[in-house]
Amino acid sequence: MKKNLFSNWYNSVLTVVFGALILWVLYALVKYLIGIDTEIIRVNLRLYMAGRFPSEQLERLWGAIYVATATVAFFARATVRNAQTKATEAGLDFERSSWTDVVQRFWPIGALILFTLSFTETITPTLLTLVAAAIGLAAYWLGGMMPMWLIRRSWIILVVGLVGFYAVLVAFGGVGWDLWQGFFVNIVITVAGISLAFPLGLMLALGRRSTLPAVRVLSVTYIEFLRGVPMITLLLMGAFALGFLIPGDFQFSLFLRLLIAITLFQSAYIAEVVRGGLQSVPKGQVEAAQSVGLSPWKTMRLVVLPQALRNVIPAMVGQFISLFKDTTLVFIVGLLDLLRAVQISTAQPEFFAQGLEAVVLPFAALYFWVGSYVMSRESRRLEKKLGVGVR
Amino acid sequence: MKRPPFWRNIRVIRVALQILAVAVVVGAFLYLGNNLRNELVEKGLPTDFSFLSQPTGVTIADSDFDPGSPVWRALLVGIKNTFLLVIVGIPFLTILGTLIGVARLSTNWLVAKAAMVYVETLRNIPPLLIILFVFNAVILQLPPPRDPATPLDWFVISNLKIMGPWLASSNGVGAFLIIFLVAVVVAVVVGIWRTRYSEQTGAHSHRVVWSLGVFAVIVLLGYFLTGRPVSISIPVLDGRVITGGFGGLGAYFAVLIALVMYTASHVAEIVRGSIQAVPKGQTEAANAIALSGFQRLRYVILPQAFRIALPPIINQYLNFAKNTSLAIAIGFAEITLVTFQAIGNGYPAPQLILLLMGAYLLFSLTISLLVNILNRRLQLVGN
Amino acid sequence: MKRLAILVLALGLVLAACDSSSDDTTTTAAADSGGSEETTTTAAAAASGSLLATVQDRGTLNCGVNDAVPGFGFTDADGNFSGFDVDYCKAVAAAVLGDAEAVTYRPLTAQQRFTALQSGEIDVLIRNTTFTSSRDGREGATFLTTTFYDGQGMMVYADSGITSIDDMANLSVCVLSGTTTELNLAARFGDTPYTPLTFDANDQLQAAFVAGQCDGWTSDKSQLAGVRSNFPEGEGGPEALVILDETFSKEPLGPVVADGDTQWAQVVNWVVLATITGEEWGLTSANVADYDGDDAGIRRFLGLEIETDDGTTTFDPGLGLPTDFATQVISQVGNYGEIFDRNVGPDTALGLTRGVNALWTDGGLLYSPPYR
Repeated sequence: MKKNLFSNWYNSVLTVVFGALILWVLYALVKYLIGIDTEIIRVNLRLYMAGRFPSEQLERLWGAIYVATATVAFFARATVRNAQTKATEAGLDFERSSWTDVVQRFWPIGALILFTLSFTETITPTLLTLVAAAIGLAAYWLGGMMPMWLIRRSWIILVVGLVGFYAVLVAFGGVGWDLWQGFFVNIVITVAGISLAFPLGLMLALGRRSTLPAVRVLSVTYIEFLRGVPMITLLLMGAFALGFLIPGDFQFSLFLRLLIAITLFQSAYIAEVVRGGLQSVPKGQVEAAQSVGLSPWKTMRLVVLPQALRNVIPAMVGQFISLFKDTTLVFIVGLLDLLRAVQISTAQPEFFAQGLEAVVLPFAALYFWVGSYVMSRESRRLEKKLGVGVR
Repeated sequence: MKRPPFWRNIRVIRVALQILAVAVVVGAFLYLGNNLRNELVEKGLPTDFSFLSQPTGVTIADSDFDPGSPVWRALLVGIKNTFLLVIVGIPFLTILGTLIGVARLSTNWLVAKAAMVYVETLRNIPPLLIILFVFNAVILQLPPPRDPATPLDWFVISNLKIMGPWLASSNGVGAFLIIFLVAVVVAVVVGIWRTRYSEQTGAHSHRVVWSLGVFAVIVLLGYFLTGRPVSISIPVLDGRVITGGFGGLGAYFAVLIALVMYTASHVAEIVRGSIQAVPKGQTEAANAIALSGFQRLRYVILPQAFRIALPPIINQYLNFAKNTSLAIAIGFAEITLVTFQAIGNGYPAPQLILLLMGAYLLFSLTISLLVNILNRRLQLVGN
Repeated sequence: MKRLAILVLALGLVLAACDSSSDDTTTTAAADSGGSEETTTTAAAAASGSLLATVQDRGTLNCGVNDAVPGFGFTDADGNFSGFDVDYCKAVAAAVLGDAEAVTYRPLTAQQRFTALQSGEIDVLIRNTTFTSSRDGREGATFLTTTFYDGQGMMVYADSGITSIDDMANLSVCVLSGTTTELNLAARFGDTPYTPLTFDANDQLQAAFVAGQCDGWTSDKSQLAGVRSNFPEGEGGPEALVILDETFSKEPLGPVVADGDTQWAQVVNWVVLATITGEEWGLTSANVADYDGDDAGIRRFLGLEIETDDGTTTFDPGLGLPTDFATQVISQVGNYGEIFDRNVGPDTALGLTRGVNALWTDGGLLYSPPYR
């Protein structure tokens, strides 16, 4: 590999030029890193992560994180056992990813958590994070004792987890979602947006392939309209115009209106992704199903959709990443996400006019980068495993 | 064959379902539209588009916009600014993206790694963040407008405006333009003639040299004959006014640079994927007839790769056009910011947002249409 | 083909919205809002009751505020709100709910504030909002007694040599979008060319101003004073900036409620007036709870028992508030002078003097109607 660096004059010139460029960049980077003052991050870390979450209710936030960790762990264990069971039933080999494999896939997230904890001023957040890790491991281990019927319907775990998450935060005089801010809200909007948009997107994709011309035209109009406008216009619509569509004095909160707008927007993109998946299922499958006497609905449900959805998992992850990055746009309607929190902190009296944007913007970038990078690596791994695109 | 009863007749069911679907959608629209109208009336806001002819009340940067002008004119200025971003950005991002995509596959390890770092870094960061960074860490670091830098005396650079030399016209430019066009046509004809000559005789066509030569001679002759109607205009500082030259607001360049770099990272991935999708047999065949690396790329790989890459690249163009709406964060007066200003100054939001969406739809559809024409011409016959 | 159809459909939608209403709609809308206001009031009173009842049932007040303006509406890193406007939110809560801390603060951008009010997301908007006729008419809002008489000013660097707006031809000015400042700026400059830089929030604007991208920053003088007082020493400190003398617009700031709810509007209005009345009578948070003098006027005001020939009575003006609301307001939050001095007064970072915001007896504009 390295022998190509100087193999001919052309390569040599390129190597020298690029080498110099890279060295210069590294030098500037090191000089910058040594010189920066991270005081602003230390002081504002809670603002960045959770916005103005009431400090006396922080236990709820941690509680919600524990619920989420436990849910993910349970679900992971259920998925593994599900696959294992199906494999043994079909007589195939089953290879479990080892712990080292998992660490190799997700180490950037672990590194980011440690990085964040390095800015905390007390030991409490670190201890609470260790508790979260313990809960995750315990949940994974307990998952081994789940009954089979639950494992086959592992989506129940997700639903229970979601309800628990919301309840811990809001129930009995808790913190309503208008006060969910900071990086927390970036994550919540991404997960909620994709989850809510998925059923709608699925319906639209089916509608687009419908043989009924009216349904097809309506679906296509919706999809092309929403894909042609920027998300910011949908957010503006949610904030300013949606309120006028509800009669009388009853009003949805801002967060809910934004969620509706984002769901509508994402559903159009998900519809396109699913459509690609539906197209990737060979016609022979449908014909075989028909020859066995399955009705159109049964064909769709048992033969086409499972294959289609499996094929589009990588593209869905791509859409997830895209929404994750787009959650930064909520600044325009006043919602305080990580990027906005970071900007506000540079305008605080103690930190004003000191050029600290160059410190906090890369800091915020790191969070988005780690999330997107890990997810895109997972999606590529899944693509390879599923053999998508390889005939 | 007896017909099934009408409630089991598939044709009846199909029609009934469609009528139902349309009825539901239309009904929903009417219900919501009615609510909208009632709410607007109740709050004393206009329900039609007549507000468009009311005076805007604000000025818009870098334009001759007068605050007394109607709102619709302000919206047009916004559209013009968005257009300026799109028309300059798309060519640049295509070139940059292609270069980086090719570099990613270079056999030179350093170049390939550098390209990979560029792509993996920029692709995973929100474009808004990149815009803010470029604006704060690059543009705002330029000298302030009260004391701009004037390198080579040909540029005026400040964080407010960046101006460079441009062409200026005077009398006789009309005639010169005609001569220019004539020169282009003649050059093309000469090129075709030389190509045909070369095909018949087997000699080198030198068609590029011939075409350019003829073109240059005609243009130069025309230039002098029409009395030198074209000159270079240099931006000149007169207190705080800059006359002459050509350029744009610092905010414009921030958005342009940030979004070009961001979209190029996506285009680079697409180009890389499409080059790798060209069958290996093509590379081997090219090597078999002794084409150099560069020739192989230019004549065999890239044309085929381009055909594969075009549909996803169209998508990136659309994303670029839509992402220009992020300029609202740094105060560049493109259509979203102008709409936002109007809403903030009391004009009805639902109508304005509808117009805003319509404007972006127009951009999206125009870009799609134009590039799809190109796409269709590139399609393999029989595909 | 398909895409052309979509384009046509979209245009059709837009055009349909255009011509479906005739020209009379605009005139009737103006007349209608008068008429429909009647119906909404009676409907509101009959159906859901006034906002007063709603707030009392709910137990907290939803107050729209600013979160980034020192002295008026500001949050610190722990999320605690403070400021002049924030104190008035507390005052309303103290009056209506008896507890100044029973407030849910909703920070709003300049562009959203009226929509939030119209849609019922907030009960009252106390967010340095200027009272203008078009806002009163067009925004479905009712403005109450002015709490702060401000004016629009321009802040420039001291070393720029600018002494008045007339020196600023061809310069650039930073301004916040969706505010009356934008409109006033355009009006003040008139035909003189200048470059406006419009931002949606103050943080990016500040960065641009510090970098010199704009030569001037225009906003309410109170906001400019806040920024100037916080200007870091590294950039020259407050002395590096100067706020030009010229005040080129009137900016009366006050609380705003939604149209159509007279009872609520009156309630909020009298809370403001109570703070002014309190200062007129020399009642402060320290002495109001212990008042036991004989002045019938003060006793009426504080809801204390008054000796009459038939026994004792307490005065109830029929606003719907508890009779001792004034005592609650002044003891929990303070009178006007205390609120002013605590947030923007001479001893604070803003260092503003009372100026026109003094009582009428001191030559200012604050005058409250008799509580009788």
